Amino acid sequence: MPSVQSLQPGDISTSQNSPHVLLPFLQSQPQNTLTRLYQRPSSCLSIFRLLGPLERQLIMNLLWLESAIPTNTMAAWVVPEGKKLYNDALTVMTGLHIIQNPTVKLALNSTFRSSLRQAITGGGNTGSFGVPADKDDKRQPNAIELLDAYALERWETILHYMVSSGQGQLPTKPSSGVLYLLQRSELMKANHGATLQITSSGFQFLLHSPHDQLWDLLLQYLHMAEERQMDLVEVLSFLFMLSTMELGREYSTDSLSQTQKVLLEDLRDYGLIWQKKSSSKRFSPTRLATTLTSLSPSLPTSNSRTGSGTNAVGVAASSAQQGFIVLETNYRVYAYTDNPLQTAVLNLFITMKYRFPNLVVGMLTRESVRKALANGISAEQIISYLSTHAHPQMRKNNPLLPVTVQDQIRLWELERNRLKSAEGYLYKDFASQADYMYVLEYAKQLDVVLWENGAKRCFFGSLEGHANVRGFIERRTGGG
Amino acid sequence: MEKASHLSVIVDLSPTQWHLSAQADNQYPLSIQTFLSQLLAFLNTHIASQHENTLAVFGALPGKSVMLYSSTDVVADDAIAPDANSYPPFKAVDSTVVQNMMYEFDAFQKSDHEPPCDLVGALTKALCYINRITHPSTTANSAAEDPSILPDPRILILSVSPDLSPSYIPIMNSIFSAQKLKVTIDICKIYGPDTVFLQQAAHLTNGSYIYLERRDALLQYLIMSFLSPPAIRKVLAVPKQDKVDFRAACFCHKNIVDIGFVCSVCLSIFCQPVPVCSTCRTKFPIKTLQRLNASRPSLNPVNSRNSLPLANLNNASPRPTPTRNLNGVS
Repeated sequence: MPSVQSLQPGDISTSQNSPHVLLPFLQSQPQNTLTRLYQRPSSCLSIFRLLGPLERQLIMNLLWLESAIPTNTMAAWVVPEGKKLYNDALTVMTGLHIIQNPTVKLALNSTFRSSLRQAITGGGNTGSFGVPADKDDKRQPNAIELLDAYALERWETILHYMVSSGQGQLPTKPSSGVLYLLQRSELMKANHGATLQITSSGFQFLLHSPHDQLWDLLLQYLHMAEERQMDLVEVLSFLFMLSTMELGREYSTDSLSQTQKVLLEDLRDYGLIWQKKSSSKRFSPTRLATTLTSLSPSLPTSNSRTGSGTNAVGVAASSAQQGFIVLETNYRVYAYTDNPLQTAVLNLFITMKYRFPNLVVGMLTRESVRKALANGISAEQIISYLSTHAHPQMRKNNPLLPVTVQDQIRLWELERNRLKSAEGYLYKDFASQADYMYVLEYAKQLDVVLWENGAKRCFFGSLEGHANVRGFIERRTGGG
Repeated sequence: MEKASHLSVIVDLSPTQWHLSAQADNQYPLSIQTFLSQLLAFLNTHIASQHENTLAVFGALPGKSVMLYSSTDVVADDAIAPDANSYPPFKAVDSTVVQNMMYEFDAFQKSDHEPPCDLVGALTKALCYINRITHPSTTANSAAEDPSILPDPRILILSVSPDLSPSYIPIMNSIFSAQKLKVTIDICKIYGPDTVFLQQAAHLTNGSYIYLERRDALLQYLIMSFLSPPAIRKVLAVPKQDKVDFRAACFCHKNIVDIGFVCSVCLSIFCQPVPVCSTCRTKFPIKTLQRLNASRPSLNPVNSRNSLPLANLNNASPRPTPTRNLNGVS
């Protein structure tokens, strides 16, 4: 009998307190690499920001101490209920080699300590926060609106390319570097011949927040950089430097190393950096870059765009910031958007009904949701997408989304998991009940029985157990 | 996602007290220069913790209070020269705070009598500022609608001046507003005797009051006790006072009293029985006054009786329904 089994809802990509995606990557690096990375104050500051709040407080507690303090002294500050959190925090920091040997005495890694001190007090001559370009009297530096529009355009080109690849349309192609990265990260796959097809992880990727998407891609880039023999420390410290730069300021490329200049070009394709020409001696980070280590939205907000040219993309982005989706209890979805990307993403799990210049109306139906599930999107992801992009009007509701709709989406997902398949062998036609019981007993000891039916004298065993069960039967028939 | 937090720092900049604090005969002399450098490091640490953290610095100067820095005000672009060796926001904080402080010090009038520091003014300004940033919907552009990025506000008062009893009522009112706004008030007493009112402020708003014993370790004290937002304080304990001085100041002479007399109508506090409440003009029966005066554990009852204005006593004739009376409280 097929077993009915409810599976756990798919892994929710951004749970509340999960550590930042970059931290496991850093932990996997050798101590030598990390120590070199810690030599730059800007890297220390950015890593510090990526850590959880408790780790940050502990680092600060230790930062200005000259000598190591006994572990017990620090533990005395911890309230009993927080013991586990505290130990977890210590483990994370030990993994990053920020704290060494925490069993007896607590002290910061001396390189990390002096760099972070320098970051906070300023001074030194590492130049790790980016060398600003000299003032150019001929040209004004770029307005922030321009940078935002540029970043948005680049980023949406990538996403739009991904989302429409499944539908046979051909929008503007991102550069080959981006395409390669998308392929490497298995967000897209080359489908018989040249055309790239979005994969199920690619569909999941589309529903993440821009901040998570960006880090997902950058993490892939870092893995790739390792293979391309690029110096990881230089790549990382360049990213961290970008994250501490000021939006709307121009920086000089003179102080960059050869690796970092290559990097500059790649990041330009992703929209993290703006350059007038590829040969230009100066560059400006965009909002995507400067918010790498923060929680604030990495794509432009509405008030920064007022007064600039209101092209379709820009207006849509501002409404996205505030949320644009209204979901009703009758499964109708009203999306106040004219952004083709958002429409396309919605189209992944909604049956479109009408389209107006600023409004898209659709229905969540069994078919549309099942289509999304078949693409690898989980019910939780649909729900979280709907709730993060809920219209301000929806925010007055508690709960935010109608419970009936949420439950139905989950039920539709469970529906797909009604059947569970397993490969194996059916043992039948036993001569006697005693024979049957004897073999079944043996198979049960091996824990290979998936299904049994005593009345019909047959049972179904898994593939792994077949050799044993078969041997057992042969020995019995041979011996008997 | 964890919340951003807002910190308003109120710095007590009384020239006399800082001069006294820097004297070499103190066990740990602390000059304002050293203090300032450690304070700036602390402010930078707060901004470093999270990109969205906001900061405001207020100064309590003799007779006035000023806002020295706020992270929501955009600094003029040319004011700060970019520098490859420091994080731009840190530089902005440091130079703005120092610049504004110097400007205020230069503006001091040289006079024999130094008016007391306007701590209450600074506290009220800080509360107003917090109210403004936590309720952005009332301002013109309400971009920060998302409740998850609304800052978690705190106020830190770095005090060097002793208690000013005339400011008792405004301080208490500020405390009540802070409670309403869910603002935690932390106190760091850097120099001078313990202050009763600030102890109460910290106690009533669930903050911590710390008397700085080792003034050479100011920065470590600040970081260990005052950097952590309330969420972290649930894991890493922060010292609290074990005993709080709950004494109040009377409304009539602004003295801090051990035993006071409270108007039964409006709860005003007096250091001695009065025939007419100065706040709500309620008249009290003369019999009660006599009884209360007789039972006072006062050291010099004669003096206090003399200070009562006779005219008022005459007005306080017993009324037909003498339900109102003064109650003694301790």
